[in-house]
Amino acid sequence: MTIFTIDEVRKTFSIGEINEEILKGINLSLKEGEVTALVGASGSGKSTLLTIAAGLQPASDGQVIFEGQNITTMSSEQVRKIRANNFGFVFQFAHLVPFLTVEEQLMLMLDVSESKLKKREQKKEIDKILKLVEMDHRKNAYPASLSGGERQRVAIARAIIHKPKVLFADEPTASLDSKRSKDVMTLISNLTKTLNITTLMVTHDEEMLSFADRIIKMSDGQILPSAV
Amino acid sequence: MNIAWKEMKKNKARFLILGSIVFLVSLLTFIISGLANGLSQDNAALIKKLPDGTFYMTKEADKNYNLSRINHSVQEKVLNKQKNAAAISIQMGFLNDSEGKQRSVAFVTSTDSMLFKNVKKGEIILDKSMKEEGIKIGDTFTNNQYNGKFVVKGFVDNQKFSHAPVAFINMEDYKEMYRVNDMQLIFIPGGDGAPSFAGLQAFSNNQFLSTISSYKAEQMSLNMIIWFLVVISGMLFAIFFYMMNVQKIGLYGILKAIGVKTSALFKMMWTQMVFITAISLSLSVALSQIFNIAAPKGLPFHLPLVTTVQLSVIFLLIGFIGATLSGIQIKKVEPLQAIQQGEV
Repeated sequence: MTIFTIDEVRKTFSIGEINEEILKGINLSLKEGEVTALVGASGSGKSTLLTIAAGLQPASDGQVIFEGQNITTMSSEQVRKIRANNFGFVFQFAHLVPFLTVEEQLMLMLDVSESKLKKREQKKEIDKILKLVEMDHRKNAYPASLSGGERQRVAIARAIIHKPKVLFADEPTASLDSKRSKDVMTLISNLTKTLNITTLMVTHDEEMLSFADRIIKMSDGQILPSAV
Repeated sequence: MNIAWKEMKKNKARFLILGSIVFLVSLLTFIISGLANGLSQDNAALIKKLPDGTFYMTKEADKNYNLSRINHSVQEKVLNKQKNAAAISIQMGFLNDSEGKQRSVAFVTSTDSMLFKNVKKGEIILDKSMKEEGIKIGDTFTNNQYNGKFVVKGFVDNQKFSHAPVAFINMEDYKEMYRVNDMQLIFIPGGDGAPSFAGLQAFSNNQFLSTISSYKAEQMSLNMIIWFLVVISGMLFAIFFYMMNVQKIGLYGILKAIGVKTSALFKMMWTQMVFITAISLSLSVALSQIFNIAAPKGLPFHLPLVTTVQLSVIFLLIGFIGATLSGIQIKKVEPLQAIQQGEV
C-alpha cells in the first residue's frame, strides 16, 4: 500500500541571478514496510529530495503527499507535528543531544511526539527498543562516552521509539567503518520489517544496497527511467 | 522532560561561569549604588529623614535657601495656620573644642517641632558621628561668632548635611551667631495639597534637595555612574546569553528537526536565564546586605534592601529582554542547516 507520494517535485536554488534547478520534476511512491534506497553521484539531488520529502525544506513546485495530506501546503507548525509524530530521522552523524543520557534521548522523543504512554510504560518501551538495537547496557551513558557505531544505534533507536510511519535515513553509515555500516543497515532493515516502517534512504555505499527492497538511481535532478 | 534543567546539570561549569559573571557584575552595581546612596545620605540625611512635606523659602531667594529670609510676621502667620509646621535655618560653621581643634558642622535651628531637636540656650545636640570621634556628653565647644559656650547635651542618629555632622542649637544662639532675626525656611509635613503663601515659593523634599547645587551636581554624577553600570551590566548579561545561544544553534536545529516546538526551546532558554540570574542576584543581594551591616563606620555606605530588590528586578528584566532578543536566532534556525553542519 502506498503511504507516501512525491508528485512532480521541483527545487530551484537562486545564487545571484543564476537559478539552478536541483530537482526537475520528481515522481516517486513509497510503499508501506519497504526500504527504498536513493543512489546517485554527488549533486544528483538525492539528499535534497529526501529533505523535501521529510518536510525539512520546502519544494519550489509539486506535491508531497503523506497519507493523503499534501505537506507542501501545510504551515510549519503542521509539518512539525507530522515530523514529530510520523517521521523518524537518521543522519550521517548521530546528532544526539550531548547533555542527555541514552535513555533520556529516547524519552525526549516520546515527549516530542506527545506519546500517550505513562512514565512506566515509556520506560518499558525504551528498554524494549534499546534491547532491539543492543544498547540496553549503555542506557545511562552520555553520547560523549559512546563509540561512533553506538551513537548511530542510539540515533536509530531515537528515530523509531515513537513508532514512526516513515524513516528517513541520509547516509546513515557514512561515518562508520565497513563492519559497523553492515550492522547498522541490518538493524534498519530488520526494524523496518519488524515494525512495518517505510524507509527512504540516501546512500553512496553500494554495499548497503543489498539491504534495500527498491533502488532508485538519480542523476542531474532526475530519476533514471530504468531504475524506477 | 525538563531539558533546561538536564543541560544545566550536565554542563555545570559553563553555567557556573555564567552565574559568577552575573553575580560579580550585580554585586559591583550594588556596592557602587550603596556608596552613592551613602554619599547622598552623608550630604542630605537631615532632609532625607524628614517625612514628605513642603519647604518654603522667599521668592527673592531665587531657589537658594542661603539667601532666603522669611519675614517674622509671615512666619508667624504660617505657623499659626499649620500646627505641625516648623521654621528652620541651616548654616555651615565651625565648633572649637577645648584644645582649640576646629570641627566643621552644619548648625541647624528650628521653632518648636517634633521633627527637629529642640535645645535650650547654650546647649548643643550633635550627630552621632561626633560621638564616634570621642566627643562626650558634657564636653564644651566655642564658636568665634558666639560669646558663650555650647555644652553637648546628646547625640542623634544619622543627621548630616553637606557632608558635615549636624549641630542642633537654640534659635537665640543662632540669631546671635549669624546676626539675623529671620529664619530661612518653613517646613510643613504632609504630602498632599501644599497651601500657597504670598511671597513664598513651595518645594517638595526632592525639589528642595535639587536647589542645593552641590547636592544636585554630586547626585547627577553618582546617578549617572549607577545607571551606566546598570545599562552596561544588562548589556553584558544579554551578550553572555547571546554567546550561549550562538554556541547552541546546532543543537536547536537538531531539536527542531526531530519536532521540538520553537516555543519549547524559548522556554528552555528562559528557564536557564531566570534560574541563573535569580540565584546569582540572590547571592549578590545577600552579600551586599552583609556588607551594608559590616561596612566600616566611617565609610558612607547606605544600601536599603528595597534598592537592591529594585535593581535586581531591573537586571532580571534586562537579562530577559537580552536573552529573548538573542533567542530570535532560535526562530531563524533551519533544522536542515544544523544537520548539514555535522555533529553538535
